[in-house]
Amino acid sequence: MPDDDIVLKVEDLYKSYGKIAVLKGISFEVRRGETKIICGPSGSGKSTLLRCLNLLTRPDKGRIWLEGEDITNRNVDINKVRQKIGFVFQEFNLFNHLTALKNVSIGLEVVKKMKKEEAHRIALEMLKKVGLSEHAHKYPAELSGGQKQRVAIARALAMNPAVIFYDEPTSALDPQLIGEVLEVMKALAREKVTSVVVTHEMGFAQTVGDELLFMCDGKIVERGPPMEIIRKPKCEETKKFFQRIHELYARETR
Amino acid sequence: MSFWESFISDLLKGWITTIEILAISVPASVLLGLGLAVARVYGNRMISLIASGFVALLRGLPLVVTLLIIFFALPKLGIYFSPFWAAVTAFIMCSGAYQSEYVRGAIRSIDVGQSLAAQALGMSKLQEITHIILPQAFRRALPGITNEIIYLILYSSLAYLVGVQELFAIAKHFNSLQFRPIEIFSTTALIYAFMATIATLGFRRLEMKLRIPGLEVT
Amino acid sequence: MSYIVEISKLMVTVWDYLPYILEGVLWTLGLVAGGLGIGFIIGLPLAIAQVYGHRFLKILVEVYAWFFRSVPLLVLLFLFYWGIFPALGYKLDPLTCSVLVLGFRSGGYQSQIFRGAIQSISEGQFVAARTLGMSKLQSIYHIILPQALRIAIPGWTNEYAIILKDSAICFVLGVMEILTRTRYVVMATLEPLLPYFIAGGLFIVLTYGGTKIVNIIYEKAKIPGLIGRM
Repeated sequence: MPDDDIVLKVEDLYKSYGKIAVLKGISFEVRRGETKIICGPSGSGKSTLLRCLNLLTRPDKGRIWLEGEDITNRNVDINKVRQKIGFVFQEFNLFNHLTALKNVSIGLEVVKKMKKEEAHRIALEMLKKVGLSEHAHKYPAELSGGQKQRVAIARALAMNPAVIFYDEPTSALDPQLIGEVLEVMKALAREKVTSVVVTHEMGFAQTVGDELLFMCDGKIVERGPPMEIIRKPKCEETKKFFQRIHELYARETR
Repeated sequence: MSFWESFISDLLKGWITTIEILAISVPASVLLGLGLAVARVYGNRMISLIASGFVALLRGLPLVVTLLIIFFALPKLGIYFSPFWAAVTAFIMCSGAYQSEYVRGAIRSIDVGQSLAAQALGMSKLQEITHIILPQAFRRALPGITNEIIYLILYSSLAYLVGVQELFAIAKHFNSLQFRPIEIFSTTALIYAFMATIATLGFRRLEMKLRIPGLEVT
Repeated sequence: MSYIVEISKLMVTVWDYLPYILEGVLWTLGLVAGGLGIGFIIGLPLAIAQVYGHRFLKILVEVYAWFFRSVPLLVLLFLFYWGIFPALGYKLDPLTCSVLVLGFRSGGYQSQIFRGAIQSISEGQFVAARTLGMSKLQSIYHIILPQALRIAIPGWTNEYAIILKDSAICFVLGVMEILTRTRYVVMATLEPLLPYFIAGGLFIVLTYGGTKIVNIIYEKAKIPGLIGRM
């Protein structure tokens, strides 16, 4: 892997659960500083793809390089790999027994063996970045959904990862809370934090997305600049999908 | 010395032995309970089966029988215990087995997302268990654990059966000399009730102190 | 070789005593049935008093439950056998005394089980019964209790297992239950291993077998939507 600029390279990824093939040969690259958008109808394999990428599930076939290292190799230390990948879940998954601050610092303390003071300093910095420094000492149950997701972003960011994966980060949120999370994600994208975002938020995709991958039935059926694909989809599936999204949004904003 | 003076001074000696028994068996049983629960949930088939078998056995046997087996039957197999350690061992094993049920239930009740998030941060399984799972499970299991510890305080009186000179043994001995059962055994009863009540209040305070919003026992 | 002969001789002697130990099962079950029965007769009214009773009554119930749940069974047995019953003029035999003490104590525990069950039934049920013109007592008897008793069954199953295991402690008074007989056999044969293992096996069978039977009854008594909580 000579190209230093490529953070993540995925080559011909396959995954099936029993007889059901979920991923059928996925290939793409993520360059440093890039924001890659993945979308597609539910069941198209987006979440499985993300989970394969940080080895929460193992792909059946294909290779993944992270910063030039083949992480599908069995000898690779999975925990080391995951430290380099930030993951933001749809359901936040904040640690319930820890304050916002501790949620952000625990990875640094336990995994990176950082001193407590240093870890807390970084954690506080990250919370400030997502606009939550006042809530540092609250527990997850005391935060709104949007605040929880922002803490989760700070938690991923604190580990100083090579890339951050977002798995439908706004799908579990009430509509009025989506904005604050998207704002934070946009700011990070403008700061050139490398990220892969599975989302249906087309506004977000058009503003900060560098490339959009449209997945259908376990394959990438269309790829290109988000604006182009959303306005003039070539594929039949893509057309149908965006039509439905437009209808949904039109109904909601009416 | 009057009846009460000598009675109370004797009881005090027995009470100290009771406290010694509890000071060892309470923390050890909590650790055993946590360990058994972790072994049952996270162990491989073999380990989980052994731990489950141990728990089922200890929960099926009356504590008295466990104690008498340890002290009277095991020497036949070449395993010897002093009275004190026979009692302590029986108490730890029995209470640990009961406590593990609460901890196991609590671990099971924790959302998988917690585990996924820990893995995504790059935690090893051990780090995940000690830093993420057990702190939450322990809090949820605490009321049950407290209950078991209260039982343990009361059942510590069974140590007298193998000849440990604890509170009840002293009381019984004193009664055989003086034969004033009502005074002697009601005083003993109140001392145990007092210990159990103090422990209940103490653990309730601990529960309050460890309380975290969103992690209440439902 | 001689070791094996020794063992087999031993098996024969202990084997001879097996029916004697097995007879203890009846005594043990007697203790359990008596204890559970008396505990029920005491515990249910106490629970009703604790939920619906006068303030003074509530405090009395609480003191009762506190006392019997905070004193070791061993102490209670000695206190009642040597102290309280004789002082009241009753010289009871060990079995009767043990059943009563197990019952008094279980009454304390059962009152808490039933109280929890009654309180888990919504206030609306009681109000609805009263608006039908039922008296307080009628509402409790016809509406609250039939639901509460079903909800209490899992807790009650647990109580069976607890009393069963605690009944072994009654050997200190010489009640002829499993453990007392086991100890006699140990004294007679000077062989502790096998008799204690037999006793242990019997208790395990009774614990899990009994719980299974109660669970079957529970399944039969279940009403959709009324699920017992542990």
